[in-house]
Amino acid sequence: MIDFLQAVGDGIFIGLVYALLGLCIVIIFKASETFNFAIGEFLVFGAFLFYVLFFDLGFPIVVAFPVGLAAAAAVGGIIEWFSIRPLLGRSPLSMTMVTLGLAMVMRAVIQFIWGSHSYSFFLELPDITVEKGEFLFISDPIWAGMLSIVTFIVILLFLFRTRWGLAIRAVSEDQAKAMAFGINARFILLIIWAISAACIAVAGIMISNFGALSVTSVSVGLRSIPVVLIGGMDSIIGALVAGIIVGVTESLAGAYIEPLGLVGFKEVAPYFMMLIVLFIRPYGLFGTVRIERV
Amino acid sequence: MKKKALVGLSILILSFLILPFSITAKEIKTLSQFPMSGPTGSLPEFGWGFIDGMTWVNAEGGGVNGKNIKWYLEDMRYSPTVEVATFNKYAAEHDSSELILASGYITGGLKPLISKVNIEEKIPWLDGSYSNEIFGSGGGPSKYPYYYSLGATYGDQLKILVRWIAKNHKGKGAPRVGFVYSPTAWGRDGLPGALAYGRSLGIKWVAEIEYPYSATSATSECMTLRKKKAQYVIYHGYSGATGHTAIFFKTAKKILRKAQLLGTQYTTMTITIAVVQDAFDGYIGVSTRPVGDAIPRSAADMSNPMIKLTHQFAKKYRPKEYKAGLRGGIKDMFLYMEGLQYAFMLQKALTEADNGAGLTRRGVKEALDNLVWDFKGMFDGKTFSYKSHTIPMARLYKANVKMVKIKGKKFPTGKLTPVSDWINTDKTEW
Amino acid sequence: MLSINNLRVVYHDVISVLNGISLEVKEGEILVIIGANGAGKTTLLRTIAGMIHFYNGDIIDGDIKMGDVSIKGLDSSDIMKRYSLTYVMEDRPIFEYLTIEENLKAASYSRWDNKVKDDIEMVLDYFPGLKRTFNRRAGYASGGEQQMLAIGMALMTKPRMLLLDEPSLGLAPLITRELFQIIQKLNRSGITVVLVEQNAFAALNIGNRGYVVEMGRVVLDGEGQELLKNEDVREFYLGAGETTRKSFKDAKRYKRRKRWL
Repeated sequence: MIDFLQAVGDGIFIGLVYALLGLCIVIIFKASETFNFAIGEFLVFGAFLFYVLFFDLGFPIVVAFPVGLAAAAAVGGIIEWFSIRPLLGRSPLSMTMVTLGLAMVMRAVIQFIWGSHSYSFFLELPDITVEKGEFLFISDPIWAGMLSIVTFIVILLFLFRTRWGLAIRAVSEDQAKAMAFGINARFILLIIWAISAACIAVAGIMISNFGALSVTSVSVGLRSIPVVLIGGMDSIIGALVAGIIVGVTESLAGAYIEPLGLVGFKEVAPYFMMLIVLFIRPYGLFGTVRIERV
Repeated sequence: MKKKALVGLSILILSFLILPFSITAKEIKTLSQFPMSGPTGSLPEFGWGFIDGMTWVNAEGGGVNGKNIKWYLEDMRYSPTVEVATFNKYAAEHDSSELILASGYITGGLKPLISKVNIEEKIPWLDGSYSNEIFGSGGGPSKYPYYYSLGATYGDQLKILVRWIAKNHKGKGAPRVGFVYSPTAWGRDGLPGALAYGRSLGIKWVAEIEYPYSATSATSECMTLRKKKAQYVIYHGYSGATGHTAIFFKTAKKILRKAQLLGTQYTTMTITIAVVQDAFDGYIGVSTRPVGDAIPRSAADMSNPMIKLTHQFAKKYRPKEYKAGLRGGIKDMFLYMEGLQYAFMLQKALTEADNGAGLTRRGVKEALDNLVWDFKGMFDGKTFSYKSHTIPMARLYKANVKMVKIKGKKFPTGKLTPVSDWINTDKTEW
Repeated sequence: MLSINNLRVVYHDVISVLNGISLEVKEGEILVIIGANGAGKTTLLRTIAGMIHFYNGDIIDGDIKMGDVSIKGLDSSDIMKRYSLTYVMEDRPIFEYLTIEENLKAASYSRWDNKVKDDIEMVLDYFPGLKRTFNRRAGYASGGEQQMLAIGMALMTKPRMLLLDEPSLGLAPLITRELFQIIQKLNRSGITVVLVEQNAFAALNIGNRGYVVEMGRVVLDGEGQELLKNEDVREFYLGAGETTRKSFKDAKRYKRRKRWL
């Protein structure tokens, strides 16, 4: 029982980071029906921007963190401006294809600027390790989980409590209608990409803090696929729930199934979970069931 | 008239085709492949070392008794497919009397080439692989007569670690050891041998964990080891310069506070200090080459002649990269030395062949088989014989890392210091 | 106020929809545009509102002028901001997943001032029915309420000119009448209205002038009452001609656009 609770706890903390990744995919998908396959590259790029500010230029964390996120947002906006915007009004599929190309270009740029070796990454956050008897939750994942959920809530408040958020939700529902009512859909899309890039950077920084930062971390972006498919491509709450499901699944698979001799099962467990969910609910747990009336 | 012109033209074309062969003298050609780019956190230092080494060999080192070596270098991008394809291309393009020595880099490329290299082409092949299956008990010179490795096999490296645990274990009961390995050919390689050897020494294996490259967290792996009360953890088959190594060590330091971490060749590097930082402190690992770099570089231990030579080379040929160090330069002299080692080995093998049985593939093989060398003092004066087709030398190192505060931020400093003498694995009674 | 001169629009570079259409909107009037399915009425409104590019259309000839200034090629939000022109798309252009209140607020985006609350009150005065479902998702409102909301949202943008695309589509006759009364009321408050309608009879009744569009051209124009009496108009668009129906075009099929959200 203790093992189980320990594994679930570990899973939840990392799951919250996955939830944040899921959210970044979902807000872009809601707005433009585009799946951002470059999420892993955004993650590494954002983390590197922070790295430059914090480790190379030596700014204190209270400066480096917001400035790093702002820089990541700016990069997200710029990328949207030259790669996604020209395709506005075209098929969402073509934008999705563009993000695939974007992933390659960004990876090349990252390797060009920072090389492909690892950079040590160590934020001196206060130690909040929890140890009670058999239970042990170490500091870094707790920080990562907490910061991710805080970011998640900030985004939710932004979307549901501010005027900009309202405009974003309107554009997400229908770009044409939003444009007809004077909402600058192009600009809103840019904002969405910027926000998404900043959130991904938060996830990137927290994940890098587990170990080191290198271009190989782009594979973390793949974790967002089971998250959004389990939760539903267009559901924010689905991203949260599915993120935790994926984290816990991974952790339980690592604690219980891998020792049985199924090495590497931890990696595929989320995808098994995804298949099961998709069999039962093809639109994901919280995805909108789409009705086509003719 | 038309017919005459046609005949004339074909003679002209034919002569162009034949001419190059008839005019140029026989060359000494070698093919080397290194990972200089690619997705898995690869490093350009190998290639730099090799290029500088070969430049020196041809310009100042005397070549092969005065003859220049025509060396080809290809980037194999950590991909067995690329390695195999490149070799096939060169084998087809170049005359077998000219291309007389080749080198590769990973186990994955060795296996598909077994029959091509050993039976068809019969070309001596140096490799960076430490595969137990090919060079260790399962293979060896009798089975793969043309494969040569530039270091002790992973099987032997692991045995050295296991023996260290058995010898140095204090406290009651059998030592409880966990084994963490990478999901790769070389990660799984040597595992069964090491387990069996450990059991014979009275070691209790408590967990075998395959830890993936794409890991974002090592919590569940470390929690399993904690649950099984592992006192020692052997971490095998990873590069010390990668993120997942940093994740594992950092997490292990926090969860398995008392456990001793041990590792094989590519974790036993100075760059690991920079990436893993203070979580690397106290680590014990095997190396098949002298590890002499330090952070900062000025603290490097220069007592080993090969290390000294490596630094001289880097200073001479890559002053910019040498100075840049961790910032996009030569991050670890150890990596640079590996490239250099290939260059020296090529020169030595070809020279010995020229002195002996002649500059043919057979001749080079004979020279390698009979080679007894101190490798420019690499093993602190000890010599080795290449009879086993591996350079059978290895040494244990311990990491000492201290975090130093500069301008309010902590930076890692330290180096790896030897804790054993050079061990000749061919001569060791296991 | 608004004049269109010899306008030609093609979709996807090949499908020619407007073939040199010319018309004029006078300040303060209700202009009715009627025409068969596929005549180019909706395209005309999209082009005026600056949204034709979004639908992969292109203006290849002609000009759109607001007063003396050409607004051809301007972005929809620019046209709205500079000329207070608002386009209410067909098929109740509301955000179904937002509440009615949020819908109205979202429509005020282009203004960015503090008078939004007062304006919402003003809209609710026009459409008291919306008060009942003020905090419910707009998708749950009835068809009539949704259309009222759509016009209400247009009012939030403070328009001087409204382009209405088939507001009576799918509404009960009683509600259509109420809607048209409100449109008249809006017109009296100073808003110029361009009304594209299937329900030609009701529309021409409140309209000052009318155009009949066919194959992307104006084929007939005149005073509202005058058109109502026209033989051809009666036959084709009012279904009240002497002879039996000659065209099946007026049996318009309505196909909902694919919705993703």
